[in-house]
Amino acid sequence: MKEKIKSIINSVGLPRIIIFFFLVSLFVLAPFVGIFLDTSLNDVIVRFGMNGLLVLSLVPMVKSGCGLNFGLQLGIIAGLLGALTSIEMEMIGFTGFFTAIGIAIFFAVILGFLYGTLLNKIKGDEMVVATYVGFSTVSLMCIFWLILPFRSPNMIWAYGGSGLRTTISTQDYWFHVLTDFFKINIGSHIVFPTGTILFFALLTFLLWAFFRTKMGAAMTAVGSNPAYAKSCGVNVNKMRIVSVILSTVIAAIGIIVYQESFGFIQLYMAPLYMAFPAIAALLLGGASVRKASIKNVIIGVFLFQGILTMTPSVVNNIIQSDMSETIRIIVSNGMIVYALTRKIERAR
Amino acid sequence: MMKKQSSTKTMNPGVYFLINYAVPTIFTILVAFAIPLSRLSGDYFVRELMIRLSRNSFLILALLIPVMAGMGMNFGIVLGAMAGEIGLIFITDWQIIGISGFLLAILVSTPIAILFGYFAGIVLNRAKGREMVTGFMVAFFMNGIYQLIVLYGMGNIIPISNTNILLPRGYGIRNAISLLGIRQVLDKLIPLEIGGILIPVATFIVIATLCVFMVWFRKTKLGQDMRTVGQDNEVARISGINVEKTRVLSIVISTVLACYGQIIFLQNIGTMNTYNSHEQVGVFAIAALLVGGASVAKASILNVFIGVILFHTMFVVSPRAGKELMGQAQLGEYFRVFVSYGVIAFSLALYAWRKRVEKENERKKVMDYRKSILVK
Amino acid sequence: MRKRIIIRIALIAVLILIGIFLYTTGQEHTVLIDNKNIIVNDNTYNTSTVYKVWVDNQEIGVIEKDKRMVATVTGVSHKIVIEAISNQVLSGEKHERIFKFKNNEGAVINIPAMINSLNEWINKTK
Repeated sequence: MKEKIKSIINSVGLPRIIIFFFLVSLFVLAPFVGIFLDTSLNDVIVRFGMNGLLVLSLVPMVKSGCGLNFGLQLGIIAGLLGALTSIEMEMIGFTGFFTAIGIAIFFAVILGFLYGTLLNKIKGDEMVVATYVGFSTVSLMCIFWLILPFRSPNMIWAYGGSGLRTTISTQDYWFHVLTDFFKINIGSHIVFPTGTILFFALLTFLLWAFFRTKMGAAMTAVGSNPAYAKSCGVNVNKMRIVSVILSTVIAAIGIIVYQESFGFIQLYMAPLYMAFPAIAALLLGGASVRKASIKNVIIGVFLFQGILTMTPSVVNNIIQSDMSETIRIIVSNGMIVYALTRKIERAR
Repeated sequence: MMKKQSSTKTMNPGVYFLINYAVPTIFTILVAFAIPLSRLSGDYFVRELMIRLSRNSFLILALLIPVMAGMGMNFGIVLGAMAGEIGLIFITDWQIIGISGFLLAILVSTPIAILFGYFAGIVLNRAKGREMVTGFMVAFFMNGIYQLIVLYGMGNIIPISNTNILLPRGYGIRNAISLLGIRQVLDKLIPLEIGGILIPVATFIVIATLCVFMVWFRKTKLGQDMRTVGQDNEVARISGINVEKTRVLSIVISTVLACYGQIIFLQNIGTMNTYNSHEQVGVFAIAALLVGGASVAKASILNVFIGVILFHTMFVVSPRAGKELMGQAQLGEYFRVFVSYGVIAFSLALYAWRKRVEKENERKKVMDYRKSILVK
Repeated sequence: MRKRIIIRIALIAVLILIGIFLYTTGQEHTVLIDNKNIIVNDNTYNTSTVYKVWVDNQEIGVIEKDKRMVATVTGVSHKIVIEAISNQVLSGEKHERIFKFKNNEGAVINIPAMINSLNEWINKTK
């Protein structure tokens, strides 16, 4: 019995177990400090829908052996371009939403292709370079946000300033189009965001189906055993690029869903560190640098968003101060450090 | 049958130089364009450069030792910076001023820096092959721990009596604290003025001492051990060197040096942004070093100084150039952030690519050799 | 092995001593100087005139009647000198005292008390 417990702890990982119990204890404590359990649960579900796709986008690249996508920002930028263009064209509602996605996919494919080609040239060191490529692209885009010829009055600085604003509201355009789609009202506090969850489920299903196709299997093979894949006639480099494009596209869609739910498009330096929470969530769900599955995504996002939602409310009521930011930093970055320091399961 | 072996040595020396020194070359060209664009006076330049040299060199020098030991670019110097800041918070609380304050800050923060460095070293040892990403993430993680200590612990569990530096709520340090008591205390220790410009003689002497120390260190047994570990772990292990301990030690030394470097940096500025001062320390220091021609595997003192001059010239020049070019200084500021990150991305990518190409060449050589034997 | 431990402990002890030394000699203390009436043992001592104040041979300024002045000093031992001013001219009537600080102390010095050679001329705070 003791052996079995030990082996479970080893495979699941001590930090994950600690965090799981931490989350459970938060839920238990909540009613005692005056937090409504139903609103909290609702919050967690909403945030799950908001962030789920971004975390999902990490999976193809991990499967194909490109490691954790520290360059997630590229997909986010594609998404931002799509959203901005859609608003510039004054599209609203579902039309606006899907136009944004369409344009975003266009940019994502281009960016993904370039990014994938770069990664192919530096096999083995993808993660560090990706981080800084992501950072430099975000900074470069800052310059572009200032000079690109957008004209919609909702987006540029008022009083004749030049350049886009730092945050742009999606209120009048496609704010909550998904969330309110067939929303279910339960009681007075809960609004179940059916649309968002359905969309997430749809894309998850599509990805799952993709990995069952021939191309999907080839991609997985490239990640777990490149020599074998090559001997089967699979073009390793091409598969990797496809996986990067796929990741970037999903990320682009993911940020648009995020904005749809959040209500704001955040430009300039905001996307800089957005890769880290997504990666932390994936790792929290049981993935590693070399292995990731859709199950990891679902568990991970739920745990991560759970901590993010519950900790501030509960801890703040106990300690009377706002520790949420600090806790978020420690948990998300700690998870990544932990994952990076685990012994490699199988040599490359 | 001798097959002509192509190696980088027989390459056109011009091309060789360009590949190895791509980053500083591109940078110099960029800077050469930007300087006249910004319309800043030569006088201003000299003064700014001297201040920045004295302020930043120590920090960047701290990066050299981990490179020697094969740990790559030590993003963990942020931990050293944090240790230094904690020391400074304490001496500000105790109201110790002048050179005594400076020295006491160093004294107090050293054990903290050693602790942080030890932690970072151990973590990095468990992530062999991924040191840079891990170092990077450890820095972020420690930022959270630092906040825990400074934003929540101080005033609470850690007694702070000077209410000037505490937040209104009673615990936690304010966002910005004045270091007026030790402002420029090292810079002005040996006063020298030439043409109205104050020259921080003592600071330069300290930097020079560190350079001498580095040169001497390379020749010591520990230094040699580190270089061996940096070249090849297995060879080092066979020679009886404790590889793990040596790697940790290199990080500890680097962290302590970074701690002192940050204190030197802050004493020049005179104010401390409690939560932001250390954030960009890692990025800017590493970018500067890379701009100076260093690589993940090789970094020298010359790289440090060339790097500081080039990088900080760009830094000073960008906002003004941006303003002249496109009418917005903001553009220049984003540009220099972009350049900082971009330099690192480019250098690291270049290095990784070269490493792969060399590995491929090695493999090809072995294959060709095998083939040639078979033919015989 | 044991020798190494002893050397290390000695080294740390030396560093701690240096630390204490730096702490004591480097600490900044606030000195408040009052030219105000003071009541000691049911006797009132009045301020009579304006004074010029030096602390550690550095001129702090001129202190009017009923006013308070601030000086900051570093370290343990200090000297305060005051000289009366009558008819806008230094009178030559000087008073001098030496005072010492312990860690984390401040001081309030009262001029009338000082002139009348009372023990309560200086009051340590914190």
